[in-house]
Amino acid sequence: MKINEFKWALCILFIIFIAYILPYTLLTNVAKWYGSFLLWVVLAFTIIIINYFLTKDWGKE
Amino acid sequence: MSTTLVWSAISVYIVIALVIALLSRKGKQNNMDSYFLGDRKMNGFVSALSYSATTYSAFMLVGLAGLTYNGGVGALGFELIYLMGVTLVAFFGPRYWKVGKKFGYVTPSEMLGDRYDNKIVAAVIAISSCVFLIPYSAVQLSGVGYLLQGVTNNAIPFTTGLILATVLALIFSYIAGIRSVAWTDSLQALFMIVTSTIVVLVLIKGLGGFGGFFGTLETDYPEYLTVPGNGFFSFLNFLGLTIPWFFFSLSNPQVSQRLYMPSSLKSLRNMLMGFLVFGFVYTIVAVVWGYSALIMFPDLENADLATPFVLQSDLVPPILGVIVMVGIMAAAISTIDSILLTLSSLFARDVYGNFKKEASDYTQLRVGKFVIPVIAVLAFLFAQMEVNLIAVLSVSSSAGLLVSVPSIIGAFFWKRGTAAGVISSVVVSGIVVIIIEFTQTKPLGLASGLWGILISTLLYISVSLITKAPKEKAKEFLSI
Repeated sequence: MKINEFKWALCILFIIFIAYILPYTLLTNVAKWYGSFLLWVVLAFTIIIINYFLTKDWGKE
Repeated sequence: MSTTLVWSAISVYIVIALVIALLSRKGKQNNMDSYFLGDRKMNGFVSALSYSATTYSAFMLVGLAGLTYNGGVGALGFELIYLMGVTLVAFFGPRYWKVGKKFGYVTPSEMLGDRYDNKIVAAVIAISSCVFLIPYSAVQLSGVGYLLQGVTNNAIPFTTGLILATVLALIFSYIAGIRSVAWTDSLQALFMIVTSTIVVLVLIKGLGGFGGFFGTLETDYPEYLTVPGNGFFSFLNFLGLTIPWFFFSLSNPQVSQRLYMPSSLKSLRNMLMGFLVFGFVYTIVAVVWGYSALIMFPDLENADLATPFVLQSDLVPPILGVIVMVGIMAAAISTIDSILLTLSSLFARDVYGNFKKEASDYTQLRVGKFVIPVIAVLAFLFAQMEVNLIAVLSVSSSAGLLVSVPSIIGAFFWKRGTAAGVISSVVVSGIVVIIIEFTQTKPLGLASGLWGILISTLLYISVSLITKAPKEKAKEFLSI
């Protein structure tokens, strides 16, 4: 795995970790749209942005 | 919903899809590369839509909406964690694509067989894919059955829906192989996303706008906005559901085979990004859909009927309802035809091709075409068993496919992996998953998929360490 890939992989793993932990701890009593609903939407969106940068140079090598 | 209206809409859909399928024919389609991979010349846009249509099936607006109806926001987390898992394509996509081009692989199992230098590896993975994907296709077929039955109040019986879906999937995959599948998929994907988004916007407006919609949920159904909420999404349950789906993009050959098809790395990138955006929108749409059903019809006995009820509600104009219904049917069919095509290529290439001496490319293609209807009939028979909660069965097929993931990761990142490691991990943990699913037990509270991935990882590593690894291919794969 290239170093660049490794950095992104760590970043993604961290986001996925949050996606499992926060809804079941901090947000477990926040029965609002800005609770787990918003958190998961924001995290997924962040992953999409990461993918955009991660794949930016495909085909240019 | 009137039966005449439903049949008219289905007829229009069939005519348009058939025209597109016929127009997609190009070239002679007389070899495996051409029929199953579109000569590795697919453009990014079609690939993205087709990947989306193949991945997202009747499960989304029937099963996922049903999961939301039953358990609340955990359904959103479940599906978005799956979407986050597609990020694996960013790591494995270019690797699949490059080795595919270099060594001419048609199927992911063929790739693993060559990487581990053992034909049995290819055959075992191909057979295990068939064992688990036929139930998965059956789930899609029953999705169509339930839907047509539900929206017409039994005027179109369950079996008629099944037959219709089976026949259409067969036709779409037969006309021009992956080309007709990809083009009809694209049409269907656009249709699915546009129509369902419109309905969800109509529903939110009808239920008091964004504020009113969430206001009702927050006041009347607060437990549907948290996990574990009403208990449906306990943490272990959530883990058991999400882990198999997280690895879906690698474990399911009908999608991982797509990684060989784009014409360039740029097209592969467009496929990935296009899919992620599509999936993001469609997931939110399906979850809001499930919530709307909960607000409008809180007392349904079977959550799978939530969608038919929404489509027939006063808020959705009948024409729009019927169009979306066809969209959901199209979603199911676009998944089944891809699975049919992939499974037949696996059988022809990795089972027949490996064990029949002098099986030429052309003979493999003929065998592949022969197997397509056989698999379709099997799926049809399985679907007639009418299993209750669609999502549960669908997830268990995913759990069964999950057991090949350690071997796939190892193929590109671990030079010590061996054929014995792959075969033992896939066979033993595959059988464990089947036993757990069959007996409906949860040893130590863990679902079948979790046991599957734990045992397969353990076996793959330990058996590999005590057997001799192939050197040359390992080196090529690790440095690609």
